[in-house]
Amino acid sequence: MASTDLPILLRRARWGYEKTRVRGALLGVMPIAAIVLLAACIADHPPLTITVGAAAAFLGAVFLWYGRAPQKAVLPGFTAGLVPLFLVVGVNHLHMCGPDGCTSLCMYACAIGGLAAGLGVSVVSYRRGAGPAFWLSASGIALLTGAIACAGVGYGGVAGLVLGFGAGALSTVAQRRIGRRAS
Amino acid sequence: MTESERAEVDQLMARLADGDRAVFTDVFHLLWPPIERLCRGLLKNDADAADAAQEALQKVFERAAAYDKSRPAMPWALAIAGWECRTLARKRTRRRETSDENQAEPGTVGDEERLVQRDLVEAALGALGHLPDADREALIATYWDTAAPVTGSTFRKRRERALDRLRSAFRRIYGID
Repeated sequence: MASTDLPILLRRARWGYEKTRVRGALLGVMPIAAIVLLAACIADHPPLTITVGAAAAFLGAVFLWYGRAPQKAVLPGFTAGLVPLFLVVGVNHLHMCGPDGCTSLCMYACAIGGLAAGLGVSVVSYRRGAGPAFWLSASGIALLTGAIACAGVGYGGVAGLVLGFGAGALSTVAQRRIGRRAS
Repeated sequence: MTESERAEVDQLMARLADGDRAVFTDVFHLLWPPIERLCRGLLKNDADAADAAQEALQKVFERAAAYDKSRPAMPWALAIAGWECRTLARKRTRRRETSDENQAEPGTVGDEERLVQRDLVEAALGALGHLPDADREALIATYWDTAAPVTGSTFRKRRERALDRLRSAFRRIYGID
């Protein structure tokens, strides 16, 4: 390789760059994969948990590989998504019983966890002064991570998660707007 | 390389580390000439220098995602290139030594010592990147024990000054008081 063919060298360098990023992304989604496996072990519908978890891991890997705002959003999004996930796992066997029978608390856990995740993602976005790409990426990861557990509850669980998340995000936006007007 | 060019390389490398592929070609074209020059200066052989420079550039881009934005990019890239040159030079030496059965086996240095030596060389080459061209030439000539463009007391003085600057650059980079 004595003579230097710059276009070939450029292609090789690019390939090397992408290869390293892919390797880093795969390493980066290991915690998501571990959580998915754990959740699948205790889930009522393991195939569904694995499917949603695989989607979360795939999206995380793509963001980590891509870089920029989506890459920075993976960790906050994943951390926020753990809130509804752990809440649902925690209340999985709890029931609220009344005169009309018993109701599972999972749907409420999804909604409350979603609210907390939405608040968390929005607060982090504002604190960092991040743009919509960060917020959208973090939200995507948070919702999918939360859905690993909430999907097992059914459509109601996912709807509760999304609504809670939306409420959390909106409340942060509203609070900021009011704060700005007041100052 | 001027200060503004160095700042530009730092900025572009930081963007590349963040995943901004739009600057890839720019970084490539900014890094290639100095890396090639350094390899030519170190190896004194066009074919070996081309090999080492290409290998080095490939490694620079493989490590681009891990680039520390708080450090200057050019010395970092040149340190990788310097290390690649040294590795290639050693390979060539080893090949010559194995072909000669009467020569002693070179692998007597312990692994730990080799690692320490490698870190020191990397650090020194990192600091070397901070120096002006004249200083760098003087140090490279000293390193390879070859004749510099100037001889005698002028060269000695230049070498002394270059070593002083290298020491201070090393201290600055690693925060040694």
